Amino acid sequence: MSEVMGLKAKLGLDVFKHDSEPHIRIKAGMEKDPRLKKAVLVCPAGLYSLNDAGEVEFTIDGCLECGTCRLACGTEVLEWNYPNGGAGVQFRFG
Amino acid sequence: MNIVVALKQVPDLQQIRIRNRQPIFDDVPLTLGNIDKNALEAGVQIKEAQGGKVIALSAGDENIEDTIKEALAAGADEAYLVIDDQLKDAESSLVAKVLAAAIKNIEDVDLILFGEGSADNYSGQVGPRVAELLGLPQVAFASSIEVNGNTVKVTRSLEDCSEVVEVNLPAVITVLSDINEARIPSVTQILKAGKKPKEVVELDDLKVELPDQSPVKTISNLAPDSQRKKVVVKSVDELVKALEAEGVIGR
Amino acid sequence: MEKFDVIVVGAGLAGLAAAYTLAQEGLEVLVLERGDYAGAKNVTGGRIYLNPIRDLFPDLWEKAPLERFIAHEEVSLMAKGKSITVRYSGEELRQEPYQSYSILRAKFDRWLAKQAERKGAMLVAKSRVDDVIMENGSVVGVRAGGDELRADVVIACDGVLSLTAEKAGLRKPGKPHDFAVGFKEVIELDPAVIEDRFGLEGDEGAARLFMGEVTRGKFGGGFLYTNKESLSLGIVVGVKDLMEGQPEVQAPTLLDDFKLRPEVASLIRGGQTVEYSAHVIPEGGLKSLTKLYGNGILVAGDAAGFSMNIGVTVRGMEYAMASGYYAAQAVLKAREAGQYGASQLSVYEKLLNDSFIMKDFQNFKDVPAALDNPRFFTVYPELATAIMSELYAVGAGPKERIYPTIRKHLTFRQLWDMLGDFRKVRKL
Repeated sequence: MSEVMGLKAKLGLDVFKHDSEPHIRIKAGMEKDPRLKKAVLVCPAGLYSLNDAGEVEFTIDGCLECGTCRLACGTEVLEWNYPNGGAGVQFRFG
Repeated sequence: MNIVVALKQVPDLQQIRIRNRQPIFDDVPLTLGNIDKNALEAGVQIKEAQGGKVIALSAGDENIEDTIKEALAAGADEAYLVIDDQLKDAESSLVAKVLAAAIKNIEDVDLILFGEGSADNYSGQVGPRVAELLGLPQVAFASSIEVNGNTVKVTRSLEDCSEVVEVNLPAVITVLSDINEARIPSVTQILKAGKKPKEVVELDDLKVELPDQSPVKTISNLAPDSQRKKVVVKSVDELVKALEAEGVIGR
Repeated sequence: MEKFDVIVVGAGLAGLAAAYTLAQEGLEVLVLERGDYAGAKNVTGGRIYLNPIRDLFPDLWEKAPLERFIAHEEVSLMAKGKSITVRYSGEELRQEPYQSYSILRAKFDRWLAKQAERKGAMLVAKSRVDDVIMENGSVVGVRAGGDELRADVVIACDGVLSLTAEKAGLRKPGKPHDFAVGFKEVIELDPAVIEDRFGLEGDEGAARLFMGEVTRGKFGGGFLYTNKESLSLGIVVGVKDLMEGQPEVQAPTLLDDFKLRPEVASLIRGGQTVEYSAHVIPEGGLKSLTKLYGNGILVAGDAAGFSMNIGVTVRGMEYAMASGYYAAQAVLKAREAGQYGASQLSVYEKLLNDSFIMKDFQNFKDVPAALDNPRFFTVYPELATAIMSELYAVGAGPKERIYPTIRKHLTFRQLWDMLGDFRKVRKL
């Protein structure tokens, strides 16, 4: 395995069940909060990224529900819950 | 009125992995097909409006006892199960025979609902075949069902038009997935599902004999070939040449 | 309204162990699991130690779907472009009862759930607990998907973040310093190749840890466990170190680079990644344990903080199962009195104190501070491999004598720092 598998491809291997709403949200007005930038480094699924305006963008698709962003950014910045029952990632191996 | 909803146990399709183009079913959880859940929801809504009961009907191996609880949680009042190892992965014509025999054993059936096709094989045959075997009128591809006394008005969604038909009960109707959004049962409903009445019969009880050899054999079941060629190009020229060689673009 | 003897939140190892134990004693237990099935949300690096918990569940192990028993332990010091590996194979590791096994949780937890159900526990999957129901300062049940469900006792086994314990006021959102994040790939590989590549006989397995450059000197390391037909390969890194940068690196890059290391690339060659998973791990030790009980509620497993990293062994699953067991015992004791207030349930802490769990946490209470030393992850791997490099080097000219080679690297300053570091290590 000499070539590096892209993160999207890796996440594509997992089973994700549809949720009716995103279970993590950046709280309004917190897009430029320095605490939010930590999520860019810590998220194992690479779901947080910095755009040209210096704001953190976030997508919920591919969330592994690991909880790292909740610890790194804190609950003042993120509205954080688990997905609804039966939704979100479903590990086949774990 | 008594409504029978036929439900098929299928593997959770999202959980199936593909290895060497073959599906892997190891440890894949079993569940009810999504369109079957819509058929059940349609039945439960009619019952809630008209009174009566919904009977969840299924045929398969012993695992269906567990899976049918999903239907009992989502509003079915009782279950009627035909359990036999021979029924695991049985082909459509055989399942239809078994279900028709089972329905004959259920008293005063007014309406029989199916999904338009199963989530796994999607032959779309079982509903129509059951109607034929029972000599009942059948309406396929229903996107709405309205019961008026002894008749039922069904809107059929076809490719570029819709058709409204009226049939006398009892009748067989197969539904589309957009007929409704199936409800998600609550914890309490799930817990009560285990206590609802359940009748389990075997093929012998129905006096149905299945042939030793299935009339239809699946010869191969392969995922589409999606092998990447992994050609590395260093310039636009090279890319164009490579695409031309593949016949993707013309000269 | 439904009322149960006990509601367990979360069908992981702690929750299922508690449910299994309580159902066995005839209690009405409801387990609520938000995943599609038990294990659907659960992640491990990959190894469970059975000795401490074997006797708590005597009937369980014979048929348990574990992967391989670990017969070979390896640890690698990873520097830039260099590494030193020590492999330990002991005959005691190859003798039954085996000490530890590699494990895949989706498979194991589903099986364990079935065992608990056979004892009479009720498991409802696809059901998220949204809140606890409090009355007069006591937890009297939970809310899940619009339903109110009541019980004498709620056992919060909902994992490392335990929103249940948080809502019951037993903990606050944790501090990054007390947690690590682990992320891993499961890589499918032919069993015969696994056995050849890792020098294994039959069901033997290998466990490998990698320290140093793999985490860019941050607290943590890489791991590899052999399963029956796959490898679990991943990285664990302290959340605080990762978020503070120095150097700044995104978590996924650590794993990608780890896989590219020649030492690792040769081990996973030809394998197919079949899953990518991640989870936070409690690693704060004794001082970061949450409150373990309140009125009508107990906390067990990762939810309580029962997981420990002492460098060469990283443990959590046996603490989870044992704390679930003791939580069940505490409920049974409280039941004798017919009261479930904090004073009755405090027996849980007493049971834990008398068990291997709190003894381990006491014994190793200074370890997190001792290991929180970047020199272990930077200076030492570089130093050790630099010395090896020179020892093995044969250049064009004459070779230097060995002692001066070593002395060149071990300056007085180095030795002084090492002395300081290793004084702390005495606490391990």
